[in-house]
Amino acid sequence: MGNVPTKLDQDGNPVETVNRPGYPTSGSMSSASGATSTTDQSPNRGTRTRRASSLVSTFLNSGNRYRSGSIQDPNAQGAASAYSSPHKRRSSKEKEAIKEQHARNILVRYDESVDGGFLAPYGSYGFDKLDYNADVVKSLIIQRRLAPFYTPLQDFDSSWSREELLKIVEGLPLHAAFNEHPEEFEDIPTGDLNKPNFDYLIDRNCTKKEYRRTHAKIFRARLHKKRIIWQETENEVFLEAKLDVRSGKVKNNYLPSEELKYDLYANGSECPICFLYIPGPLNYSTCCQQPICTECFVQIKRADPHFPHDEVDPTQPVKDDSEKDPNLLTTEPANCPYCATTEFTIIYTPPKDRKVGIQGIPPATYKSSVPQAGDDNQDKKSEDKPESKDINMSNAVSSDDIRPDWEAKLNKERQRLARRSANATAIHVSNQLVNPEYAVSGNQGSPTRRGSAQNSRATSNSGSRRSQRQGKSIEELENQMVQEAIRLSLKEEEQRKSSTDKK
Amino acid sequence: MASLPKRIIKETERLVTDPVPGITAEPHDDNLRYFQVTIEGPAGSPYEEGLFQLELYLPDDYPMEAPKVRFLTKIYHPNIDRLGRICLDILKTNWSPALQIRTVLLSVQALLASPNPNDPLANDVAEDWIKNEQGAKQTAREWTQRYAKK
Repeated sequence: MGNVPTKLDQDGNPVETVNRPGYPTSGSMSSASGATSTTDQSPNRGTRTRRASSLVSTFLNSGNRYRSGSIQDPNAQGAASAYSSPHKRRSSKEKEAIKEQHARNILVRYDESVDGGFLAPYGSYGFDKLDYNADVVKSLIIQRRLAPFYTPLQDFDSSWSREELLKIVEGLPLHAAFNEHPEEFEDIPTGDLNKPNFDYLIDRNCTKKEYRRTHAKIFRARLHKKRIIWQETENEVFLEAKLDVRSGKVKNNYLPSEELKYDLYANGSECPICFLYIPGPLNYSTCCQQPICTECFVQIKRADPHFPHDEVDPTQPVKDDSEKDPNLLTTEPANCPYCATTEFTIIYTPPKDRKVGIQGIPPATYKSSVPQAGDDNQDKKSEDKPESKDINMSNAVSSDDIRPDWEAKLNKERQRLARRSANATAIHVSNQLVNPEYAVSGNQGSPTRRGSAQNSRATSNSGSRRSQRQGKSIEELENQMVQEAIRLSLKEEEQRKSSTDKK
Repeated sequence: MASLPKRIIKETERLVTDPVPGITAEPHDDNLRYFQVTIEGPAGSPYEEGLFQLELYLPDDYPMEAPKVRFLTKIYHPNIDRLGRICLDILKTNWSPALQIRTVLLSVQALLASPNPNDPLANDVAEDWIKNEQGAKQTAREWTQRYAKK
């Protein structure tokens, strides 16, 4: 991977990882955590301070280049952000760059941790399903408004001894195993991943449409491979760091202390959706106080744009979707998975005695504040659930918060349908123009007739033409076309305006 | 094939260790996402004394997507059509990832106990059910005797 050099490539010395600035001195550490009460407005100040106070900023900068998409500034909404202005039309090159950026953005890195969890998901759900806004989610985790992504345990047995549990936790990987050869990408050439251009893999003689389709397929197959390489690079960095510490060569502030590991995993619970054992505290639904892990929470989203589910009237023929007004397309905010309350939101109460990682103390220096007796688990559990007096609704996080582009998506789908039906109308009307004998059988709905291009073509090709023209002259038809054109351009203008307003 | 998510493994185990009365669900040997299901007709319903075969499939996106459930045994019910497809909100728009195989099958069993002819899938059955409930229930009983005998 030319553009993704591993750390070892970079400096030939894995120990460098450990020396990377991040948790410089205890002095600046305490200032970062001391400032938290005032950092609510700019949650990343601690991060920035940390970066700013870095001793070897040049190294850090070069580090950021190859570990791009790290936490430099999760709130950044500048042009460089993968998630800026969802309304803008982008070239396919830009879109691909955004997808790659997103893939880099959801890599799990051991040195980007919050309270013992991470800023990116473990991988219980596939890459295609991780379409949330990673900048927003990272920033919410750093603000302690959303639980971090913890590495889950597949099973948990409360009879495990401290040593047994620690041994299991020590062996946990950063990320779930990948399916390296998914069926979807079977037989798709990916070429040299180091070269950005892969057009040489596509047959030159194919049609434009075929080219586009093949290009998209190859891009996705390549991204899948790249993502595996990127995450494996992070896994190796993590492993090397662990080995170095174990060999006693070096100290590493990013790796969790034994007490942290134990406190995390001795007090976890099973997420009712993925059934995995996750360190607590979990997020809780604001409506019914049910737990949900962050990895499952980022899966909860609005349904794709659809037409309203009316009560079906058995006496009426079912209307084909292609005949409906695209503006009727709708989506509703996600419901609570547990009690179906509309507009699902969660609330998270961070652990008071475990502020480690970003904006906290180094994970390696964490000391347990609970006595090691082990019988205090029950107290701890009851603390996890936010008490009603603690709930500050302004801190609640909704599914829309982490997918702010839902409205742009809805408008895009509406436009797509409108364009399709406009095309259909145009073909329909031009058929009438070209062939005055053209049957008007499909004409009832014109000029606002909505139908797929296919439908209209089928009508125009139908053999028997009942010559029941309704006395429409060419002029009338021309008027009709002009009107339709005006209507469409007005509508487009309207949509353009409403989308710019929303920016 | 991608490995089976822990959730599916645990659900399957728990179905075995803590079965639902009147319902069985067993995964296929060569596809652990495909279950063979039996549901006993609820007492007091026209389906009493019947044992109904169903198939249940967990799609790739389960639990974010609903399981696919279908009756294999012929049944006379306004919300179940000739192909065994079931009209049940939680299998479609009201699916939630907090639901499970267990809760889905319980809902199907409840649907047998209380048919809803006002939101039909099988129009002819629903019409019959609304116009002549006693007659429809009699037909349902006969079908149960004929096709779902234990």
